[in-house]
Amino acid sequence: MIGFWERNVPVFDIPVRSRALYVLTGLFLLAFGLVTYRELAGLGPVSGMNDAYAWGIWKTFNVMTLTGLGSGGFAVGIAAYLFGRKRLHAVMRTALLTSFLAYISGMTLLGVDVGRPWNMYLVLMPWRWNYHSPLLEVAVCMPLYAMFPLFLENIPPVLEWVHEFRPNFRPLVEKATAVMSKFYPLVVGLAYLLPAMHQSSLGALMLLAGDRVHPLWQTPFLPLLYVWAAAFMGFSCVAGTLLFCAIMWKRPMDLDILQELSRITCYVIVAWLVFRFSDLLVNGKIPLAFQFNQFAVLFWIEMVILVVAAVTLFDSAKLKNARMMFHAHLITAIGGMMYRFDPTTLAFKPKSGAFYFPTAMEILVALGFVSFAVAVFIVAAKKLAIIPAPISYWHDYEREVLANAPEPQLSTSGQALAAAQD
Amino acid sequence: MELTRRAALKSLGAGAVGVAATSLVSIQAVAEESSEGKAPKHAVGLLYDTTRCVGCQSCVAACNEVNNLEGDLRADRIHHSAQDLNSFAKNIIKLYRPTDGSGYSFVKQQCMHCVDPACVAGCSFKALTKNPDNGVVGWTSSKCMGCRYCEITCPYHIPKFQWEGLNPKIVKCELCKERLAVGKEPACSTVCPAKAVVYGTREQLLAEAKRRIEANPGKYYENRVFGENDGGGTQALYLSHVPFEKIGLPDLGNESVPEKYLKWQKRLYSYLAVPVVAYATMVAVIRKNWNDHQHHMQEEQERTGLRPQL
Repeated sequence: MIGFWERNVPVFDIPVRSRALYVLTGLFLLAFGLVTYRELAGLGPVSGMNDAYAWGIWKTFNVMTLTGLGSGGFAVGIAAYLFGRKRLHAVMRTALLTSFLAYISGMTLLGVDVGRPWNMYLVLMPWRWNYHSPLLEVAVCMPLYAMFPLFLENIPPVLEWVHEFRPNFRPLVEKATAVMSKFYPLVVGLAYLLPAMHQSSLGALMLLAGDRVHPLWQTPFLPLLYVWAAAFMGFSCVAGTLLFCAIMWKRPMDLDILQELSRITCYVIVAWLVFRFSDLLVNGKIPLAFQFNQFAVLFWIEMVILVVAAVTLFDSAKLKNARMMFHAHLITAIGGMMYRFDPTTLAFKPKSGAFYFPTAMEILVALGFVSFAVAVFIVAAKKLAIIPAPISYWHDYEREVLANAPEPQLSTSGQALAAAQD
Repeated sequence: MELTRRAALKSLGAGAVGVAATSLVSIQAVAEESSEGKAPKHAVGLLYDTTRCVGCQSCVAACNEVNNLEGDLRADRIHHSAQDLNSFAKNIIKLYRPTDGSGYSFVKQQCMHCVDPACVAGCSFKALTKNPDNGVVGWTSSKCMGCRYCEITCPYHIPKFQWEGLNPKIVKCELCKERLAVGKEPACSTVCPAKAVVYGTREQLLAEAKRRIEANPGKYYENRVFGENDGGGTQALYLSHVPFEKIGLPDLGNESVPEKYLKWQKRLYSYLAVPVVAYATMVAVIRKNWNDHQHHMQEEQERTGLRPQL
C-alpha cells in the first residue's frame, strides 16, 4: 500500500492487546524475576561473565549495539534539522521514540550489570569525577541525553494526547507547547551534541583496552567509526521500524521518504567503509585481513555484510521496492551491530584459554529488556500519534475516536462564576 | 528566512573551523598536563628475579594472611591452589615449563603498579587511584560502581572481581599499603627466603637490577629490566632468564596505553571547548531550520485546519 506520510496518527484501528504484547510482557516479567535473583546472588551464578571476559552481552549487546540502533533520533534528526532534509520531519517521532526506548532499556540493564550500583550516585557529583575517563563520559552523558533532550523531544505526542483526552488541561498544554517551541533549538542542539559525544566514547572505551583489541579494529579513529556506525544504524532502525509497522498494521508506505532514508543510509555506509579501509591501508594493517585466522574471517564477514547492505539499499531506493528496502535495512542493522559488538568480545583478546558464552539466564534478561522496549513502543504507537500516515487516516481517527473524547468541562470555580453571572 | 543548503553548509563550515581552532588551543593545555609521564618522586615497588625464585610460595601465603584472603580452596577445600590471579588471590606464583624441555621458570604475579596505569585512567569515579607520593595503585570501595572496566583495560590482567555475593569488590595487590603506611615492607618481600622478590624505591630497584645484569651478562633475557620503560614503565620490575612474553609480560612498547590511545580524546574534551563550539554552531543552524519548519507547520495548519504536530 502506498500513500503520503502527511500526519502522525495513532494506530487506533488495531486493539492494544495482542498475543505479541502478552509474550513480550511475559519475557520482561521473567527477566525482572531473574534480575532480582542476580541482585541477591551476584553476577557469577547468573551470567557467563568471568575475569577474562568481564563484560558480557548486557553491556556489549544491550548497550554497545542497541544504543547504536537507538541513534535514530540523533541521526535522522541531524539530517532533518542540520542538513534541512525537510521530508524527514515526518518520521522524527518514530525515530525519537525508538531512541528513547533503546536508551532506557539499555541503561536500566547497565544498572543491573554493575556490581556496586549503590555507588552510582557519584555521577551527580562532578567534583568526584575522573574527567579523562571515557567511561565517565558515557556514564554522565548517556543518562543526561535520555532524561533531558531526548525526553523533552518525546513529550509533544503526550501533550497532544492530553490535549485531546483531558480537555481541562488544554490551557496548560498550549502554554507548555509555546515554551517548548521557544527553547526547542537549544534542546535539539543538545540532542545532537550529547549522542555525538557518548556514542563516540563507547568506541573510546575500547581504546583503553589497547593491544587487547585486535589491530583490525583497534585504531585511534575507533570513536569516530563508532559514532559514524551509530548514524547508519539509527537510520536503518527508523526505516526498518516504519516498514515493519506498515506491514504489520497495514498502513500505507511513503516510498519517497523511505527512498530518501535508504539513500542517505547507503551513502553513510559507503563513506564509512571507505574511511575504515583507508585507515587500515594508511596504517599498513591490510595484510592482517589476509591471514587465515578467526579475526580476518570476522573482519570480512563484517565488511561483506555492510557492502551487501549498501548495494541492496542503493538498488531498493532506485527501484522503490519496499520489501527490498526492509531487507536492506535489516542487513545494515546486523552489520552495524556486528561492528560495534566485535571489539568488545569476538575481536577482544583475553588471557589465553578464557571462554565466554552467555548463559541462558543472561540471554533471557537481555531479551526481556529488549521486549520491554518493543512492548512500550507497540502500546505507544497505538495510543499516541507516532507513526506517520496519510491525512485521511487522521480524519478516520477524528471520526472514530476523537468524536467520543470528553468535552471540556468548566472547573468548579468556573461553574460557580457562571452561576453567579446567571 | 528560507534556509538554503548552501547557508547551512556555510555555518557548519564556520563551526568546523571553530572546532579545529579550539582543539589546537587545547593541545597546548594537554601537552602541559601529560608531563606527568614519570614515576612519582618516592615511587616504591618490587624487583622480582626469576633466576632466584625457588617456587616455595611463601609470598603467596604471606599475602593471603596479611590481606585476610581465605585463599582459593575451590579445588579440594584444603589447599590454596589458585590457578590464576582471582578474587581469592592477589599474588601467585606460576610455573612456566616449556614442552621442548628447555629451562623452566617460576613467575610471581601481582599488580605491576604502572607509572601511568590504564585502570586508573579509565576509572569513572577515581575508585582506582595512583598514590601521588609512592605510586601505589589502590582501590576504594566507596567510589567503585563495579563496572569492571579495569578488567578490560589492564594490559597485565591484574584486577579481579568477586563474582558472587551481594557486595562484590575489586581484588588486586595494593602493595600492602597499610603496612607501608606504618613503615613496614609488603608481606611478600618480607618472607621471601631466596630474596627473589625485594622491596625498595623504584630508583634503588632499577639500580640493583642493572647491577645484576652487568655482573652476569647474558644471564637475563635481552639484558634488560622489564618495567623500566615497558608500557610507560611499572613499579614492579622483572628480571627473567626466559622470554618475558612466556611469563605473562606482554610486549607493550614504551608508551603507556592512556598516552598512546587517549591523546586525542583528551584534546577533544579539554575544557569542553570543542563541544561548546560545536553546540553553538549547531544551535545556530537548527534555529534557522526550526523557524522554517514552524513556518511550514503554520501553513499546514491554515491549509488543513488541524493542530500542528511537532
